[in-house]
Amino acid sequence: MIQALFDGVLVGSILSLGAIGLTLVMHILRFANFSHAELLSVGAYCALTFDAVLSGIAPPLANLIGPFSMSAALALSTLAAAILTGFTAVLIDRLVFRRLRDTAGPLTMVFASFGVALIMRNLIALVFGLRTERFTDAISFATMVSSDPLLLIKPDQVAILLIAVAAMAALHLLLTRTTLGFALRAVAENPTLAQVNGIALPSMIRLTWIIGGGLAAIAGVLYGIDNQLSPVMGRDLVLSLFAAAIVGGLGSVTGAMLGGFIVGLASSFAILLLPAGYKPAIPFLVILATLYIRPNGLFGEAR
Amino acid sequence: MHSGLKTLIGATVVTAGLWAIPAMAQDCTTKIGAVLPTSVDWGRPIAETAAFAVDLFNVAGGVKGCKVEMILRDTQTDPKVGVDAAKALVDLEKVPVLLGAVSSGVSMPILTSVTVPSKVMQMSCCSSSTAFTAVASEGKTDGLWFRTFATTRNQSAVAALLIKERGYKNVAIFYKNDDWGQDIGKLVKADLESMGVTVPASIAITDGQSSYRSEVTEALKSQPEAIYMALYPAEGALVTREWISLGGTQKMVVANSLKSDEYRDSVGLQYLGETVGHDSAQPRTDSARGFVELYKEQFNAEPSGPGLPNSFDAAMIAMLAMEAAPDASGPSIAASVAKVTDPAGEPIFPNAEGLKKAKELLGAGKTISYQGGTGPVKFDTNGDVSAPAVAWKFDESGTQEVQYFTLDEVDAFISSLEN
Repeated sequence: MIQALFDGVLVGSILSLGAIGLTLVMHILRFANFSHAELLSVGAYCALTFDAVLSGIAPPLANLIGPFSMSAALALSTLAAAILTGFTAVLIDRLVFRRLRDTAGPLTMVFASFGVALIMRNLIALVFGLRTERFTDAISFATMVSSDPLLLIKPDQVAILLIAVAAMAALHLLLTRTTLGFALRAVAENPTLAQVNGIALPSMIRLTWIIGGGLAAIAGVLYGIDNQLSPVMGRDLVLSLFAAAIVGGLGSVTGAMLGGFIVGLASSFAILLLPAGYKPAIPFLVILATLYIRPNGLFGEAR
Repeated sequence: MHSGLKTLIGATVVTAGLWAIPAMAQDCTTKIGAVLPTSVDWGRPIAETAAFAVDLFNVAGGVKGCKVEMILRDTQTDPKVGVDAAKALVDLEKVPVLLGAVSSGVSMPILTSVTVPSKVMQMSCCSSSTAFTAVASEGKTDGLWFRTFATTRNQSAVAALLIKERGYKNVAIFYKNDDWGQDIGKLVKADLESMGVTVPASIAITDGQSSYRSEVTEALKSQPEAIYMALYPAEGALVTREWISLGGTQKMVVANSLKSDEYRDSVGLQYLGETVGHDSAQPRTDSARGFVELYKEQFNAEPSGPGLPNSFDAAMIAMLAMEAAPDASGPSIAASVAKVTDPAGEPIFPNAEGLKKAKELLGAGKTISYQGGTGPVKFDTNGDVSAPAVAWKFDESGTQEVQYFTLDEVDAFISSLEN
């Protein structure tokens, strides 16, 4: 029971990070971006590449820190990957979505995002192959915190949780305490009115993509540390991310955070109630239940 | 006096028959159908091997003096395409015998919607699903179904045997959440329980989940002494790593699907020291070696692809059964398969000489024991065959065989499980 709770929170924290970017883009650009989950793969593979390069240039950086399966090289690589993924998102917007935004309907944008997702996934597969990859091949062993009820925790899991929470806290501060954050929220509320007040819409859109992409990259790296990297990891995660964003209420950052934890916990507890084979259905059940009780999600507002 | 006369007449008839064959072979043809996935790269050699068997049979004089013509259609491993192809062969070409298909998912609809209703014998080289056993044991195949490929039942029994030999008393199971995985997972669980081994958890692993930790923890709760895994390499590695990192036992028995370098490298050889795998094997008999020689002579390559000896045997047994059958209808050919695969009969290896002898014996109403690429073939009442097996472990260079179970050992173990 406690184990399921802990595991659910951990998976949830990764989903939350991914869902925040998704919900921001949906709120500000007003379309469901199915290629968002691919940004997690982009981030993870960028970090994998930087990590290999850095470890090659400066071998001491590659030493694992304490009991964690992360190295200084990986930490630096994650930062670099977050920046690069943010700019990748901006580039994709420039190449595809910006051209469609003014003329095409929301459905066209959705289909375009499907197309972008396919291209990104296959590009990664082309470069890195379909094999699964890991940041380190060493297996990090869990510590038994308690034997009854059973609670096993890996040092990595604690680190992942802390990093995820820190990233979310930083975003929260940015949105509530800085002028930039106010501007971003203003654009989300009413783009026209925001522009009248002197906020440059294009730069706000760029900022949205950079934040979304950066958080996605961190989520991708954390997911890669916790599991493994594969070119199809975006495809595997996209449903859970959407479930989290919908549960939280589209456009609500707090909602997406909470939604991620709800979906993570639901999948984790599901196995206590249902046979393991039904686990993939859990995100759908969560979406259905939310839409039934609160059609706009937990924190969503009717538009 | 009387018996002497009979022998004399018999000999004369046989001799006359032998002389007559080459002349008659030119005059008539007998058609058989084959539905195989020739459009996929591993399917083409299976079809070529069946065609090779037909050529050998024709050189030996064909069926009852008639040249055999194998009409081959592609299934594209698609059930719909396969059924259409089979229907065309049965309805338009009027074949009494159909070879194929490869995938269980293609063979099954052909069996239930084409061959059984049309009373055509179907012999598959390569379908392994236990669903066929179930259908046959319900009497829905009318004895028209045979396959020369060992069933998943055979694989699951070998898994149970390995667990028994290692003396594990408490084993959790992880199985892939698809037809194959559910099939083998269920069978291994039943076998273990019938041997008195506790199975505290049997857990489905679905592809592409964001985490398998809850599945792994669920199994870990019962603290099993060993685990059995029927998974594919990508999820298999993830589950194994999670399992080991959470302090699970490194005593693992795994299915042939994990016999891959990707899995070994992903998990790390240092954690796989106590892992043993199972796989089906070609028999180590003279007839199996004989098939390899025949194949190399014909194709200048080793028969290394899947299902090649099985395809050869399926075609040969079908044609020998046609030879032995009193008439050319599907049911009587199917009923004659027993005359060709009688363990008490004269052992026959299907080279030119062996086929000649087989025809003589069958013509004289005697039975033969067909010994082909998969060894001495023997069908049970459901049209299934058994196969020898190997146990293997991981090593620096890949995998290495550690144990060989002969056909008799596997069969004896399976029947001990069922009693």
